Amino acid sequence: MTALTIQLRTGTMMNMDTNVAFKLAEAASDKGYDVRIFGYGEGVWLIKAGQEPKRFPNVGEDTKKLVETGKVEVAVCNTCTTARGFRRGEEIPGMKVGSLTNDLSRFVAESDRMVTIAR
Amino acid sequence: MAKSVLVLITKPPYGFEEAFAGSRLALGLVSSGNVEQCNILLIGDGTLNAVANQKSEVLRMPSNMEALQDMADMEFKVYCIKQDLDERAPGVEVLNFVEMIDWEVARIIIDQHQMVTTF
Repeated sequence: MTALTIQLRTGTMMNMDTNVAFKLAEAASDKGYDVRIFGYGEGVWLIKAGQEPKRFPNVGEDTKKLVETGKVEVAVCNTCTTARGFRRGEEIPGMKVGSLTNDLSRFVAESDRMVTIAR
Repeated sequence: MAKSVLVLITKPPYGFEEAFAGSRLALGLVSSGNVEQCNILLIGDGTLNAVANQKSEVLRMPSNMEALQDMADMEFKVYCIKQDLDERAPGVEVLNFVEMIDWEVARIIIDQHQMVTTF
């Protein structure tokens, strides 16, 4: 099985980076890749529960559906969530507040490629 | 599966979070034990992270030097493009554990790593 890690470092609003990350994850998953997404810095907002954009795609909900397929795993940096007042328990179910050491390192070790999406 | 990662730092030590985030990411990967090799390459404005005697406490900001020192203490490499630093701060004193290289060597180093992520 081929695996892809997406390192996401921008938030869910103000630009389309997170949408691009989602679409990339979806396309890779459709092609048979195991996909891991790691949110770092502003990228942690991907997994915040309760997002309700009025006129844009709800990328959190979209990603949740992808995770529910079992082919996509999502974790974000705990230090980054804490810094932003985003507390454990506020994440979308099925996605994880994790760490660089435990999660990103494993994602990297298990992947053939890593794509960095940042500004 | 990936065993080596090169962290490219392109941003200066202050004004952006990227250099701090990149050096912390490198530390997280190497301390996990999941990634065998993780080295840092300072390029462009990122070469200013190699300047010695920075006083980050004046700005009440964290020191990137400590993270870079930690990488060197664990016998991972911190490379810096000499030409890029000379263009920005000619003759400046450089952290003693940083290895100054030219672009020709940098290309070889980049090629030696399975994954590259840019900050």
